[in-house]
Amino acid sequence: MTEIPLIRLADVSKVYPLESGDFTALNHISLDIMEGEFVALMGPSGSGKSTMMNQIGILDVPTTGELYIAGKNVARMTKLERTHMRRDTIGYIFQKFYLIPLLTAYENVEYPLILKYKKRDTTGKADAILNSVGIDRVMSAHRPTQLSGGQQQRVAIARALVNDPKILLCDEPTGNLDRKTGYQIMEILVGLYEKGKTVILVTHDPKIAEYAKRTITLEDGRIVES
Amino acid sequence: MRDIFFDLSVRSVRLNFLRSMLASIGIVIGVVAISSMGMLGTNMQLQVKDQLSTGADTLVITNDAVRFGPPGSTIDSSSTSTGITKTQLLKIKQSAGTGNTIIPIYRSSTEFTLGSVNGRGTVYGLAPNDVTSFLTLSNGTNLDGMNDALVGSTIASNFNVKIGSRIHIGKANGSETRPVVRVVGIIEERGTSSDNVNTDNAIVVSRDWYTDHYGGEDQYTQVNVIVKDIDTISEVKTAIDAKVNKDPDSPVIRIQDASSRLSSITSTLSTMTTFILAIGAISLLVAATSIFNVMMMSVNERVQEIGILLSIGTEQGEVRRMFLYEALILGILGGCIGGICSLVIGYSVVGAMIGSTAYFFLPESIIYIPAGMIIGIVVCIISGLYPAWRASNMDPIDALRSE
Repeated sequence: MTEIPLIRLADVSKVYPLESGDFTALNHISLDIMEGEFVALMGPSGSGKSTMMNQIGILDVPTTGELYIAGKNVARMTKLERTHMRRDTIGYIFQKFYLIPLLTAYENVEYPLILKYKKRDTTGKADAILNSVGIDRVMSAHRPTQLSGGQQQRVAIARALVNDPKILLCDEPTGNLDRKTGYQIMEILVGLYEKGKTVILVTHDPKIAEYAKRTITLEDGRIVES
Repeated sequence: MRDIFFDLSVRSVRLNFLRSMLASIGIVIGVVAISSMGMLGTNMQLQVKDQLSTGADTLVITNDAVRFGPPGSTIDSSSTSTGITKTQLLKIKQSAGTGNTIIPIYRSSTEFTLGSVNGRGTVYGLAPNDVTSFLTLSNGTNLDGMNDALVGSTIASNFNVKIGSRIHIGKANGSETRPVVRVVGIIEERGTSSDNVNTDNAIVVSRDWYTDHYGGEDQYTQVNVIVKDIDTISEVKTAIDAKVNKDPDSPVIRIQDASSRLSSITSTLSTMTTFILAIGAISLLVAATSIFNVMMMSVNERVQEIGILLSIGTEQGEVRRMFLYEALILGILGGCIGGICSLVIGYSVVGAMIGSTAYFFLPESIIYIPAGMIIGIVVCIISGLYPAWRASNMDPIDALRSE
């Protein structure tokens, strides 16, 4: 029996209408990513990496072609269904961490649980996840601005993981960190991959890309190597 | 446990405390304006109503209707006199129906002397049994003997009148040939009464004494009809009008309905209250603009945060709720401070403008404080609607990219 891919892009194009003419960010991309893969997306600036991440993260929809996440055609989902899929199935890790500045580290991790279960976390899950990425209780009471870059990224990973998503989308997760901290973060991501998460990583750094088991290279909106 | 969106809103307000407080001051001013103006208007209405409510169940009949008749109307023989005639009184009694009290009243203004002090006031001529039907004595007894008199509260206090005091009626002329009455009772204060019997600065004597000294027997200055059931006052008025004023183009008597006069005055005051409330509402409109501005600033400053919230799975409704909570907090802050200020300022304004705060804490007056607070809060929420909608409809990718 053929295994259904967790992510399928079928002839996906994304065109942005500009005053100077249409700009094709993704040009007829077809790609399958199976559950449990560790994929690195590489390519120069403007190659379409971020656009592809936005499509897979269903923050955006393709202009043409079809995108399937966990077997569901994204184009046929309502806005609310897409929101729920972002909440439950996808975990985001951003280069700039993007933690909510008004919340403490703990509350940032608890936040997706509240979105999902509509109540405060009483199970201790947020604490446990923070602990697993090396953030203790004292640190978790701090606001993001009171934490170092490495600590913020750890909190961001904990937030991405807390709802146990199938897909982890990491957009340059080490881009704002020093080399040593960057490798520590990559070790965490490898650990998650080994536990069965599907990890998709966007990076410029070939050394970081080496952590992935599959590398896809984009150029001018097309896949040139997979 | 509190809603995390409420927590986010509280923290946002705290983070921009000064700006939020300044926006709330607009609401405070609006709430104070609406509450104070509303209370002032209501207190005025209540005071006037109270002053005029004595005699609200009374029809006041005078014969001066001809003066208000249509142009060209002629004065018939029965109404050329200065008062209500015996025949007219009989017709009034016949048409007023049973159970209602008919009180013929003589009235004249006079000078008088009490001890060595001269004064001026009104003299009423009443039948002793009519006195008790609409006047209340604060001291003494009712008229009994021919020379007995009752005095109103103003005369009693100004001239230090006691039971047994003697009053010379008429202009002082050096000799003491003027008629004398003996005070047997003091009438309770009535204020400005809508039954046109203002006894505070008056002396009430018996009808016989009055006609003996002033003449004009059976020429009553006015006749009051006190109806037993106030709901029938219009019917009684119509019946008397039909019986006595047979020709509507040439009415011989004028019937004044105290309740309609009262409602006309209160309606005027109510219009005035609405007008001053509208002026108060303008300040709330200004406050609404200020809240809208602060909310838009809050949205614009938090674009990236909104992008984060939306990208990690926050529903649009939840983002909207967060900003509406913020507007609600500003409204509650402004409303509560405004409510407290309204209590103090409203009390002072009512005291200064009306001279009495007797009605201030009555429900119909004090209700303006919670009403003003609620209006202030609602205005805040309405002002927050568009900013909240705008935040929830942002494109998460664009929002995340913003710096």
